Amino acid sequence: MTVFHFFNCAILTFGPHAVYYSATPLSEYDTLGTSIKAAVVYLATALVKLICLATFLKVSESDSFDPYQEFLKALIGFIDVAGLYFALTQLTHRNISQNHKFQAVGLGWAFADSVLHRLAPLWVGARGLEFTWDYILQGLEANANLVLSISLAALGSLMWLRKNKPKTLIPIIYLSAGIVATMPSITSYLRRGLGWHFPKVVGFELFTSLVMAFISWQLFSVCQRPSV
Amino acid sequence: MAPRKPREREMLFDSVIALVFILVACVDLCDGATVVDVYRLIQYDMSGVPFGSRLASLNHHAASLHFSPHADLSRTVLLIPLRELNMSFVKEYIAESKPLGGLIFLLPRMFSFENKDGMGSNHQDESKEPLKNVLDELEKILIHANLPYPVYFAFEDDNIDAVLTDIKKNDVTGQPATATTGGYKFVVSATEPKKVVSPPITNIQGWLAGLKTDDDAHQLPTIAIVASYDTFGAAPALSVGSDSNGSGIVALLEVARLFSLLYSNPKTRGQYNLLFGLTSGGPYNYNGTHKWLRSFDQRLRESIDYAICLDSIGSWENELWIHVSKPPENAFIKKIHEDFSSVAEELGFKVNLKHKKINISNPRVAWEHEQFSRLRVTAATLSELSTAPEFLEKTGGLVDGRHFVNEAAIVRSVKLIAESLARHIYGHQGKNIQIFADNSNLAVNPSYVRSWLDVLSQTPRVAPFFSKSDPFVMALKKELEDHTDDVNLHRDVLDGIVTFYDSTSTKLNIYQVASVTFDLLLLLVLGSYLIVLFSFLVITTRGLDDLISLFRRPPSRKVKTA
Repeated sequence: MTVFHFFNCAILTFGPHAVYYSATPLSEYDTLGTSIKAAVVYLATALVKLICLATFLKVSESDSFDPYQEFLKALIGFIDVAGLYFALTQLTHRNISQNHKFQAVGLGWAFADSVLHRLAPLWVGARGLEFTWDYILQGLEANANLVLSISLAALGSLMWLRKNKPKTLIPIIYLSAGIVATMPSITSYLRRGLGWHFPKVVGFELFTSLVMAFISWQLFSVCQRPSV
Repeated sequence: MAPRKPREREMLFDSVIALVFILVACVDLCDGATVVDVYRLIQYDMSGVPFGSRLASLNHHAASLHFSPHADLSRTVLLIPLRELNMSFVKEYIAESKPLGGLIFLLPRMFSFENKDGMGSNHQDESKEPLKNVLDELEKILIHANLPYPVYFAFEDDNIDAVLTDIKKNDVTGQPATATTGGYKFVVSATEPKKVVSPPITNIQGWLAGLKTDDDAHQLPTIAIVASYDTFGAAPALSVGSDSNGSGIVALLEVARLFSLLYSNPKTRGQYNLLFGLTSGGPYNYNGTHKWLRSFDQRLRESIDYAICLDSIGSWENELWIHVSKPPENAFIKKIHEDFSSVAEELGFKVNLKHKKINISNPRVAWEHEQFSRLRVTAATLSELSTAPEFLEKTGGLVDGRHFVNEAAIVRSVKLIAESLARHIYGHQGKNIQIFADNSNLAVNPSYVRSWLDVLSQTPRVAPFFSKSDPFVMALKKELEDHTDDVNLHRDVLDGIVTFYDSTSTKLNIYQVASVTFDLLLLLVLGSYLIVLFSFLVITTRGLDDLISLFRRPPSRKVKTA
């Protein structure tokens, strides 16, 4: 791997965040501050998760899939939902519509996640001589993560910020949010429980994220119609 | 307008999903770096002339023998299995000094002393002989060549065989590994080899004192049994020399063990002193033997009745050779030959006499006994070789391994030597007495022979790379102490005919690297992806008109200025 390859993988990992910001109306409504605040909330949430993982989870010698430990990990993963709730409801925003607010929060959230989880391995990998597809797959995973984060933010916006949503859609909204929130546990199960290889897991993540994005978009569109 | 947009969006979604799955299907995870033990071709100077591999560090792409005839190999490492080696290719590249990035020869596992399989089998596999001959010839060529690039030996295993298969596939399809096409890169991180200054040599001497009668005022005569223990080969880390001269060492130790039993009892102690010598510097005109003999005081030297040197007695079948420098008509030579011949005849094989005159002005010392003969001591060499090897040949190189040594031959050699010495010592000429008969207390111990042969077959023994207190030398000393009295180490340095360099073994890292072309294509794909993503996001959030308007602003500005 060369610096050129590192550059390529960095583009794949962080480029979509910049493209999303500049392509959508976010750049016109001065939502950068909101994204930064959401990123800070993400870092705080990650710290809390780290402390909880260290406190309640025991380190397993074997790499096998332990259902109880994974369930505990999923519960701790819901701290992300709490953090997202805080970011969506408690942060002060001046003159930003709900439509753009959830996108800014989701974007900041996903960017912070990519920086925290992928920048260091990418940087270390650039010094190695061995070529491997892992870093390209990590970049693709970052794309899937961006889509999932914005989907979760959209669903969260529907759950906590929109008051007059149709009653028949409420279970679907909560079910979709639950699926998106447990996606890390699902991928962990696929990887360690079923023994899937990294390319297959990344493919599944991309497919699932696009499906959930489509569903979230449809739900958001339907909920917007009565106000029009 | 309204009903068209959802269809366009769904089509975009489908195409993105299809692209993602195509990309995922193309992904093929490859293994990480492979690490292989490699053993470096020896580097040495002879009278200032450089020989062997003159570089140690390696950092080049790899290729196989299936490279294009017009390919430039100056920055390429050739990975050549011994099984596919074409000797004319090697000769051509070496004789014409064609540039190479490096050479790595893959040896079959039968040449590895770490190979545990078939250790007990002494059968001559039919596929062994051709490979042995090829390796022998290759070793001669490499030892006498000056190669300005790194040359290494490695053993076949699953990892490197898989790498070789990949490299061959790439070469056949006309995709040799270069900086622009990717492929496998071989890396050996090594420092510049340094000269070995004053390489130490150590001779080990053991003594069994004979029975002295009170009325005899003279010094007892002495018989010397000598074997050289160090080796020389194309790869110093692989030069175990099972036959040359591991077999000689084993035979000497067993003879010492047998005679220590006889000499421990005053009733069976002979009236000859026995001097056992394990000498160093054998490949270099028996330099260690020369120094050892010069350290003798005159009385000891004059008391030597004769010396018998053991050299390569581990893979013969029907006949052995006694090499002498004095004329066969000499009374002492005749007696030695008669002793050995009669015992051999009883044991069912033949011992031939071979006379080779010493040319004093020639520095070449072909046999160990010649060092004794130059000092006017009667001496002979017992060997399975009928002719003297050339300098630095048959010195325990790559082909001389455990698989090619027959311990039964060593057992018979020990019996011959011990019985002949006993007849000389106890004066049993003409009588059909076997002191070392099978199934007796004094029988040759095959287990002893086998275990020591196994130890020697796992110990590379090129003299300059031994330390002064090498554990192997200490082990030989201790073993000799168990059987003889007055064990001494005689230390000296090798004379300056040959200068050696270090760095004999290291690790080879094999990386599979991507090409610059691949990364350029990847950059193109990523750029396209981001452009498509940008367009998709603009269309879905602002509408198609906004996307078009991004490219229409410049004409409108022109209109304004006009």
